[in-house]
Amino acid sequence: MAMHQYVEVIFGGIAQAAVYCIMAFGLSLVYGTARILNFAHGALYTTGAYIAWVLTAGYLGLPLLAAVPILIAVLFCSGVALERVIIRPLRRRPDWKMSTMMATLGLAFVLDNANLILFGPVAKPMPAFIEGTVVLFGTVISSYRLAVVAIALAIVVALELFLQSTRFGQAVRAVAQDMQGASQVGIDVNRVFAFTFGLSVVLTGIAGLLLAPIYLVSPLGGWEPFLKAFVIVVFGGLGSTRGAVIAAFILGLIEAFVVFQIGASWTMPVWLLTLLVVLMIRPQGLLGVWAN
Amino acid sequence: MVDDSTGRPGRAQADGASNRASSTTQILFFAVVAGLALAGVLIDDTYLRHVLILCFLWVIVAAAWDLALGYAGIFNYAQLVFFAAGAYGSGMLAAKLGVPPVIAIAAGGVLAGVVGLLVGLPCLRLRGEYVALFTFAIHLAMPPIILQTKQWGTGGNTGLLGIPPIELLGITFGPLDKLAWYYLTLAAATAAIYVIYFVVLRSRTGRAFVALRDSEAFAKSLGVSDFRYKLLAFTISAVITGIAGALYAHYTSVVTPKILGNEFFLLVMVMLAIGGIGRFPGAVLGAFIVTIANELLRSAGNYRLLLLGLAVVVTVLLLPNGIVSLQERFGRRGRRPQGAKP
Repeated sequence: MAMHQYVEVIFGGIAQAAVYCIMAFGLSLVYGTARILNFAHGALYTTGAYIAWVLTAGYLGLPLLAAVPILIAVLFCSGVALERVIIRPLRRRPDWKMSTMMATLGLAFVLDNANLILFGPVAKPMPAFIEGTVVLFGTVISSYRLAVVAIALAIVVALELFLQSTRFGQAVRAVAQDMQGASQVGIDVNRVFAFTFGLSVVLTGIAGLLLAPIYLVSPLGGWEPFLKAFVIVVFGGLGSTRGAVIAAFILGLIEAFVVFQIGASWTMPVWLLTLLVVLMIRPQGLLGVWAN
Repeated sequence: MVDDSTGRPGRAQADGASNRASSTTQILFFAVVAGLALAGVLIDDTYLRHVLILCFLWVIVAAAWDLALGYAGIFNYAQLVFFAAGAYGSGMLAAKLGVPPVIAIAAGGVLAGVVGLLVGLPCLRLRGEYVALFTFAIHLAMPPIILQTKQWGTGGNTGLLGIPPIELLGITFGPLDKLAWYYLTLAAATAAIYVIYFVVLRSRTGRAFVALRDSEAFAKSLGVSDFRYKLLAFTISAVITGIAGALYAHYTSVVTPKILGNEFFLLVMVMLAIGGIGRFPGAVLGAFIVTIANELLRSAGNYRLLLLGLAVVVTVLLLPNGIVSLQERFGRRGRRPQGAKP
């Protein structure tokens, strides 16, 4: 394998990983704070991509810079609403773990089929917002992929900063560490839940927007990235956002090499095998701790 | 003592009263089976028979899932993988190797059991939601694996075609012979429900499942082996589901990766959500209601799956323990005046 091929494969892996990273970040954040496993995360990814498509290329023809704030607002509000209407009433139940999993899975099917009815089975193309190519270490790389990596990394850094240094971010971490303790020191736990749910919907929707020009937007397109985000989150440890970031890059690189060496259709079985190996060696994931 | 606040039946303690109650359930169960057997002759409509055959097949899957999810408390989302293992295993043996269908179906059940064991093993090292994640990942990764193994005879995307009909006691169960299939699937469903709810769950094994579900640490401290009983729950549930899958394959004579698609998964999920998990007639009633509703909604096209998804969300929100909880709720209200405290 020539040098430039290595660069290409490694860069491809990083580009994938960066986007999976934001998706897994959201999934892990919600699990970390509210202990909710959101099975609708993939469907929300697709829904985010469709909303972006409607705002830009599809109907309204808005420039991207105008569309993104609207997209974020819509996604955040839907996330908060979903938490209020579906998740919060279920939290009071003794069997809330099972109920929330079932309800979010049901929601995933509702969203998928609503998208199918509204937009039809044919995948929608989404123009890349940056055209052209860049030469990096003697390898030609599309500028769009480069921009995606930059945006995704910026989002991850911003989120880490937010969690580490703002007051509300610290409240989110406090709830993640000890829900009862956080509520005793006066943190509005429900507000934190609603906020993290909203934020996770925004993150998965943004991931949908970023990958839309590469993979197109189709009604069931969210399941594969969702499964990957799943594996990343388990690999990194449920609830650990940093673990998710590290896992995303390891798995992204593995995927790139699998695609390069044996073909794209083997990605999923290899991901599953990786997951199995990780869980056998370290069942709680890289940085995870068992929740009680 | 049955603790209502946990929303789960206190089956672990079988006292005299509950034994009497359960024998009533058993009599009722056989009365319903006899009624359905009689109905088989009375119903003369092919389509209606077909719908009931589907009901019987899905009852088996829903009951087997209920065993693992509701009674053993394992968040197993790979149930349709066992269904597919049974369907593909039996279908390939019969269609490609010429194995007699009856033996192929048994082999399909065994294969599903082995798959169940293999899925169950890693799950022993996992807890709670990790099991859900892992098993659902297996479910989602299955269709690409089936496409990849086309050269082994899975048929890839077009599916496995030409699965021969069952021949038993000189009768050929052709796909159009609805009456024969009606009785065959009714017998299979009866056997499955009897084995799951009246044999396994009433035995020491069943009590071990419930004990591990309700308080794993406590059950283990009393010497209940979680290794043994969790694997057993996976395997029993998988074998029964696999046989249902194998029967399905021979009934439709075609197996496609569609059986692992969202539609089937959603269907079984709605059955449990509507019926109620871990409380006896729940899963069975759910299977009937959902299969029939699904057929009635055929004309609704794409809206059908949307409505099914909505049904899951709404029932989980409004009817926490499925429709069987309605009867309990009204039953309790009726008894309340006699008790000192509500």
